[in-house]
Amino acid sequence: MKKVVSLLLASAMALSLAACGGSGSSGSSAPAGGADASSGTTTEAAAPAADASSSEAVSISIWQPTDKEAVENWWVEKINAWNSEHPDIQVSREAIDRSDSYAYDNKVATAVTSNDLPDILFVDGPQVSYYAANGIIVPITDYFPDTSDFAESTVAQCTYDGQLYAISATESSVAFYYNKDMLKECGVDTDDLDSRTLENPITWSEMAEIAEKCTTDSYVGTHIVMDHGEGLPYALEPMYISEGKDYISEDGTTAEGFVNSDEAVKTTAFIANFIAKGQANVDPITDEFLNKACATMIGGSWEVATLEANADFDWGVTYYPVADDTKKAVSPCGDWSAAVTRDCDNVEAAGQFLQWLMGTENVASYAAAIAKPATRATAYDDPAMADYKDGPRALLVEQLQNTAVPRPRTPSYATFSTDYAEAMTNILAEAASNGTVDEAYIKEELDGVSTKFTEDYTTYYQ
Amino acid sequence: MANTKKFSDRKKDERAAAYIFTTPAMILLVAFLVVPMIYTVYYSVFKYQVMRPDDIAFVGMDNYAKLFKDMDFWQSLKNTFYFTVIVVPVQCVLALALALLVSKRFRGVSIFRTMYFSPQLTSMVVISVLWTVLYNSNPNTGLINSILVGLGMQPINFLTNAKTAMNAIIFMSAWQGAGYQMMIFLAGLQGIPTEQYEASAVDGATKWQQFWNITLPNLKGTIKYVVMITMIQAMKLFTQPYVMTQGGPRNATKTMVYYIYTQGFQKGNFGYACSVAAVFFVIVVAMSLILQRITNAE
Repeated sequence: MKKVVSLLLASAMALSLAACGGSGSSGSSAPAGGADASSGTTTEAAAPAADASSSEAVSISIWQPTDKEAVENWWVEKINAWNSEHPDIQVSREAIDRSDSYAYDNKVATAVTSNDLPDILFVDGPQVSYYAANGIIVPITDYFPDTSDFAESTVAQCTYDGQLYAISATESSVAFYYNKDMLKECGVDTDDLDSRTLENPITWSEMAEIAEKCTTDSYVGTHIVMDHGEGLPYALEPMYISEGKDYISEDGTTAEGFVNSDEAVKTTAFIANFIAKGQANVDPITDEFLNKACATMIGGSWEVATLEANADFDWGVTYYPVADDTKKAVSPCGDWSAAVTRDCDNVEAAGQFLQWLMGTENVASYAAAIAKPATRATAYDDPAMADYKDGPRALLVEQLQNTAVPRPRTPSYATFSTDYAEAMTNILAEAASNGTVDEAYIKEELDGVSTKFTEDYTTYYQ
Repeated sequence: MANTKKFSDRKKDERAAAYIFTTPAMILLVAFLVVPMIYTVYYSVFKYQVMRPDDIAFVGMDNYAKLFKDMDFWQSLKNTFYFTVIVVPVQCVLALALALLVSKRFRGVSIFRTMYFSPQLTSMVVISVLWTVLYNSNPNTGLINSILVGLGMQPINFLTNAKTAMNAIIFMSAWQGAGYQMMIFLAGLQGIPTEQYEASAVDGATKWQQFWNITLPNLKGTIKYVVMITMIQAMKLFTQPYVMTQGGPRNATKTMVYYIYTQGFQKGNFGYACSVAAVFFVIVVAMSLILQRITNAE
């Protein structure tokens, strides 16, 4: 009997170890091409350096969250190509497991304290101003004097205090996805949705009507909770702007009268109403739309690839809904961008590498590998981007190029994001438990977000 | 004379050996516990945003003054106490009950022991994710709610209702943690001489009387230990709210450690987070001492 027990214990332990290994190995195997180079450079580079004697090879390190295999392979290939062409600048990349949206940030925070930042750091769009304001990353305007080929939204997101601090190859967007089979079943005219244009997007009331009609015993009408972190401020911001007030003032200094304005309360109430009426789940399962647990969703541009590969139903996508009062079309944007850190000894070399990395051809192949819209307009002429000529992807690019608005550019964004996500989680949970929306409570929560923002901003940045 | 000298020499040798043997543990303890603790207290009197380590300013007791006015801090403290006060007795009683069940020798008892212990072998994150799905408010996805609805009841928003969220976490935590305490109780139970039971049986004691007058008194040391470690573990509650509720809804599951994490890492308020950690440390030590006093007095 003891043997059985020990066998059980051993297998259980092995399983739990394997589970850990799964995430760990993706982190460590990924940089194989890159990290090899970093340990290899010192020895390999020694030979040419001996000949040249005057200059040793510069090594440039990159940190980026681990990505899917296609992206990891892309990096190995590109870094090998660069390193063989540039013996004087040797690049290595470390893929860091993100686990959730904050594990990577925590590693960066630790490296800041110990001055161990890599030369090039990938930063999520809205964090650029936070890092820039704190001097973690340095301006790279000199290396990208002409950004006209890049989408306005990404340039705006990466600019702080008039200087370009980061540069991105890809963008993201959010749109309204619908399950045509379900909508038809519930008597919604899907041809009408298919025929919408950027000038004539669906309105909030149309979205609410669809959600109401399509809430049945087996699925809910819509999906609005992307996650309980950054996904909330990211996916929902256009609603606020469309209604008239953004989260934060244009100059990034105050939230008072913005996130807690009457317009913001109204917008939040509109969102919470879906939950209160049971038309959207407060804690949706992963891939709720794909799993046919909701009829429509406010979903990210990356869902197109997932749905194309896996959906066994007919689906469509249309532009982000607009407020009835203003009809102002707005959409989210922002993606991970490359920045040069203050610990970089050779900014010149890092800048040179970034120029090459963000060239049209690389942007096109990277965007294709990661299945996200490219930031460069000319990248769409590349055969790698052929998928973006028409269909859902073309719609997302059109929306991105015309209505995208970056998230607030403020050094207190990390605090804002945390507090807003927390307030929304509370508001939506209350709506779910009570079955009604309490505007006074919404105001109270949003006031709290504003107060905490002011406190953070005045403590550190004034 | 010669004898005593020898004796004291040997004592000296033993003492030297003791120091040598404890040195590795001491080094680790100092490096990873004492030094960080000193740093925590040190940084708690500074304004320190984690992203700007070059811009640290001494602010005296400002962080502490702010802390005592911070409603989120008090709420987190209250939640941590609530969790601890409920989970410690529940988990310990459950563990003791399980230990009594599996202390009998019968065919297949090891299977039960392994089963009860197995949640301990799984990562808390994995368990939290699993229970998040079990607790899901939509009866189409949440197993527990689908059962409730099947029985003709209303679904419960376990994790999204401020009234039920903490209790839901308490239940799953007790379920997860009890296996470990069960093992310790089991060891304690096996150390009780069987003669005592035999003698009392001869005298006509009932099972219940045996439990109260033999089992419990003999387990006193074990109970003390189990209650103490369960309490300290409970005070450190973090993973479950982090994965399952992100401290919500309405701050109902925001615990001290979770609050320290959000302040220090998510928002970068390092100095402030250190002051919270320092106060929290004092509270945990005080509680441990009080508990020790109570149990020793008995």
